[in-house]
Amino acid sequence: MGSRTHHLALTLLLLGVIALTTGCATTRIEGEVDPIEPANRVFFNINETLDKHLLKPVAETYANITPRPVRTSITNFFDNLTYLNVVLNAFLQGKLDQGLSDTTRFLFNSTFGIAGLFDVATPMGLPEHEEDFGQTMAVWGVGEGAYLYLPLNGPNTISNTPDFVTSTLLNPLFYITSTILYPVSALNAINKRANLLEATNIRDEAAIDTYTFTREAYLQQRNYLNHDGNPPVTGYDDIFNDDGTDDESGVLMIK
Amino acid sequence: MASHIFSRGYIYPLFLLAISISAYCRADETAGAVAVVETLHETLLNVMKNADQQDFNDRYTVLEPVITGNFDIPLIAKVVISRHWEQLDDRQKTDFIGLFNKLSISTYASRFNSYAGETFHTLSTEILKKGRVLVKTEIASPDDEPVRLDYLMHNTGERWYIISVTADGVNDLSLKRAEYASVIKENGFDALVAKINEKIQTMGKPPTN
Repeated sequence: MGSRTHHLALTLLLLGVIALTTGCATTRIEGEVDPIEPANRVFFNINETLDKHLLKPVAETYANITPRPVRTSITNFFDNLTYLNVVLNAFLQGKLDQGLSDTTRFLFNSTFGIAGLFDVATPMGLPEHEEDFGQTMAVWGVGEGAYLYLPLNGPNTISNTPDFVTSTLLNPLFYITSTILYPVSALNAINKRANLLEATNIRDEAAIDTYTFTREAYLQQRNYLNHDGNPPVTGYDDIFNDDGTDDESGVLMIK
Repeated sequence: MASHIFSRGYIYPLFLLAISISAYCRADETAGAVAVVETLHETLLNVMKNADQQDFNDRYTVLEPVITGNFDIPLIAKVVISRHWEQLDDRQKTDFIGLFNKLSISTYASRFNSYAGETFHTLSTEILKKGRVLVKTEIASPDDEPVRLDYLMHNTGERWYIISVTADGVNDLSLKRAEYASVIKENGFDALVAKINEKIQTMGKPPTN
């Protein structure tokens, strides 16, 4: 009991430290999106190799042999397990109505939805939301910070890294024994990868430079989520202005 | 006598009239932009519905005039090459515009290769700075979450053109700009041209599975 409390206190302390250092890091690297690109590229290449030879083939087989409804239920189950983190971050962002609706969603899906296997809440008008600690930091006025490509985990930003702590602590799986945890986590990873097959196939078909493509798509998607799907439409001006494409008359001209 | 016009009874209807006139003008202003997007969507839907009878080359032929005619490809090509554009000679510029046009058509012909009951909806429009217009739309699908597609439009004085597409928050122009800059920096402009040619070749092949 004592060690469990100890463990928790230590993690909370760690969370505080990460949040503090994130603040510093963000101001230091202002304006530069990918200051540690060489290191990121190394991890990216390792992950891509592992994915190509191990995870992706397994996920493809899994997707081929698993019936759609079963895959949907497995996805629902893991989404529900991580949903307390969404609830916490909705409240941290001051979204009271959404936080309450998300709490009810979690309770209904955990009970009537049989441990989250079935999403009974969405048809009842309790939609799924996407929140994490990085989005909370954005609401609190902390920028995304540097782009970070993590080994085995993929794209991230510095301000979203504390999310590991909250999402791990709030995931019931964290408190069960490792004999169950490992196979269940493996299933989660394979199922997650299978859900991403279409997206990565589109990426591989379209990308000229896969690393840059992944980074840009990830960062833009983060911005979209930080603004709950309605980012301000200001990004277009810098695209057209910094290379003299635009002229004063308001008509874009080819020079 | 004239003061009657400003008496209370008149103000409200006049106010309503003013609002409806301004709403009408705004709708009229963006109608041309919406029409361009909807022409593209109709063609895409058509191509998707006929995917069983048509191969990549057929889809390419149908899409070519619609993409070339409704996207401002010369401007897009210049923006994606960014600062490097000025270092190209005229021949390289013309060639790259042609190549980028081919890439755009191939991408659509390759991506829109099946139909599962999808529908396109225009959601709203937003007037931006410098006369640009954002047309917000979505693709709804019976089995999937809808995908938001926002089109950035500009008017050359003659007509409206699409200059950029944002899918669920991911903008094609900034994505390509970053990618191309990275390839040019590492391996040079010729390597970029080679890689784009390679992509077009891969997309033109019939799917393997």
